[in-house]
Amino acid sequence: MHKNSKFIAGLAFTALLTAIPFTQAQAGLRICFGFQDLETEFWVAGHLAITQTLREQGVEVLEYNANEDPNRQLEQVRECIAQGVDGIIIIPQDGDSAVTIVKEAQANDIPIAVFNRPPNDRSSGIVVVADNVSATEQAVEFMAQQALVKWQVTGKTIQPLILVGALQDTNAIGRRDGFFNVINRYNEAYPGMFAEPIEVATEWDAATALANLEAAITANPDVDFIFTSSDFLFPTIRSVLEPRGKWVPRGNPNHVFMGGLDGDATACMLIEQGFVDATGVQDLFLEAELTLNALLEAIQAGQTRPNEVLLDPGFALTAANIQFNRNDMWGCVLYDQGFLDK
Amino acid sequence: MKTRPLQSLLRRLLISEYFVLYLTIVMFTGAALIFPQVGLSNTLGLPFNISNQFLNMWPLLAVAVGQTFVLIVGGIDLSQGSIMAITSVVGAMVMSSALDPAMFDRSPFWGTLMRPEGGVLSGSPLAAPVGVLLMLALGIGIGFFNGFVITRFRIAPFMATLVSMIFFSALALWITQSRNIPSLPEDFIRLGTGDIVSVYLGEKTESTIPRREIFSAIAYPTVIAFALAIFGSFLLNRTALGRHMFAIGTNRRSAHISGVPTNRVIILVYMFSGFCAAVSAILYSARLGIGQPSLGNNLLLDIVGAVVIGGTSLFGGKGSIKGTVFGVAFFVLLLNVLNAARLSPFIIDAVKGGIILLAALLDVTRTRLVGQEGQL
Repeated sequence: MHKNSKFIAGLAFTALLTAIPFTQAQAGLRICFGFQDLETEFWVAGHLAITQTLREQGVEVLEYNANEDPNRQLEQVRECIAQGVDGIIIIPQDGDSAVTIVKEAQANDIPIAVFNRPPNDRSSGIVVVADNVSATEQAVEFMAQQALVKWQVTGKTIQPLILVGALQDTNAIGRRDGFFNVINRYNEAYPGMFAEPIEVATEWDAATALANLEAAITANPDVDFIFTSSDFLFPTIRSVLEPRGKWVPRGNPNHVFMGGLDGDATACMLIEQGFVDATGVQDLFLEAELTLNALLEAIQAGQTRPNEVLLDPGFALTAANIQFNRNDMWGCVLYDQGFLDK
Repeated sequence: MKTRPLQSLLRRLLISEYFVLYLTIVMFTGAALIFPQVGLSNTLGLPFNISNQFLNMWPLLAVAVGQTFVLIVGGIDLSQGSIMAITSVVGAMVMSSALDPAMFDRSPFWGTLMRPEGGVLSGSPLAAPVGVLLMLALGIGIGFFNGFVITRFRIAPFMATLVSMIFFSALALWITQSRNIPSLPEDFIRLGTGDIVSVYLGEKTESTIPRREIFSAIAYPTVIAFALAIFGSFLLNRTALGRHMFAIGTNRRSAHISGVPTNRVIILVYMFSGFCAAVSAILYSARLGIGQPSLGNNLLLDIVGAVVIGGTSLFGGKGSIKGTVFGVAFFVLLLNVLNAARLSPFIIDAVKGGIILLAALLDVTRTRLVGQEGQL
């Protein structure tokens, strides 16, 4: 778990209490919360927002870490069912296993909500999900506008690269689709603007991303447009670009157009410093609110198989709008409260 | 020298081959009795929980039986997790009834073995049986490869199986482009989830019984894993092959001089290990309903840990399937107890490690005592 987790807990919790009107829960409820390893700021903040808000309302929270193993998560959810919990919230490892786990809970009449990483079949369970395609498109659109200016001035084809997440995760697929939608759209409008994008597999793992990105940049030193499917990889990108003199802010001719998705504190800082151009933001606070309210309402109404999809539309924080929209991004809230200084 | 009755009892318990079983029972029943007294909910002893824990045991037991064989001959099989991954993927690729082009069109087998309408046996009644046979054959084949490399080229088992682990994990990811393969046939899924005997305890006062009040007594995984364990125990204790395995594990050179076909036995052992990994892959894949390229990634330490706790020596020449059953039960129930104790999920693994160390130290003491008994 992140070493600054307690600090994030305080910040996330404070932000939640001030920002979110939650359904009043009945004390005495027991909710099972199954998650994966908390490797990024987003998951740490999301985990703590959910657990502390529930506990504040007198709900007993049973926490289970599946360590990125869907079979283990299935076993843990069965254990929760055996314990007769009132509801279950999971962050699944992938969209396929989530389908089986939701089925298992519903077959045993326990309401279940899936936070942020949706099942491939969204017809069962409470599914709270960011519109990854839209948020990515908004971020990449801004990057492409900047790149268009450069292309029109220099005539040099832009070489894009995308760091792709684990593709059994529908979030990763949505982000990849959003990226390609924008690239293809610009290539149709401005033929020859973008070269064929390079795809770098990360499996949501920094070490894998580092090895693959090193290889890709060595083979294609002209890459000048990078989108990472998660903001947590910006330090990895920096470690590859900096020795090559390509980690420079906007305005420098060697600047690589750069964007990501999540909206974490590091991305906020890097946009402010000029190294990153845009990031698609998942509204963590909204997603936590939607998850908890929907589940608690279902429990109070006695619904054992609530099915609904709740969408976080997301938005893009860019170099152009950071002055006005920074308070809407959870990462900037943490950054402004000194998270990265700790 | 006179020994006190309590010391004598402890000594007898420690040297018993059922020591790990006693330890497991004491841990589980102790926790079930103590937890309610300290304000924790009393769920450990519930039939649904016990039924669940058994269901969690079977796939781990299946793969642990194979590792027991390998450790007894003084080897180690690091590739079991990757065998699980590749067999899961290949079996699912053949059996799947629908594959989304958007997900799989970058697979090297797209358009040949993988198509929008599924795998080559999509919709066929033979899909599940052929898929299962293919998975088992592949597991055995990789086991043969491991054994052949170890015996023919004299490569240390650690290195040979490490290479297999890396290669087959990567192969599973490459074939699927890191995506799970869905839409497996119901006949196959039943192998991981189907109950043969279900039990409801209580009065039947309403027309329907809630699903969570019905618990599984005997499921397909129970039968499969038990059959495998009994077969393994038979091979180990009642056949010449078993005696040869212990001889090789105790001293390979002496066994060879004594006429034991060491290379052949070692190859057979790794083939059996691959077979067991494939059986486990069938159980895990069936219960999730997907072919999973990351299956078994985090399982190796649990497998080796359970086998060693069960009394099998990492240095070879010692071990039993009975002990492995107890070791797996200890592992699974320990996690259940730690979860029921409401420990933070972030320290559970650390506590689990500490308790396993304690159990291992007790086992060392036990081995020493058994040795002393033998000298008397």
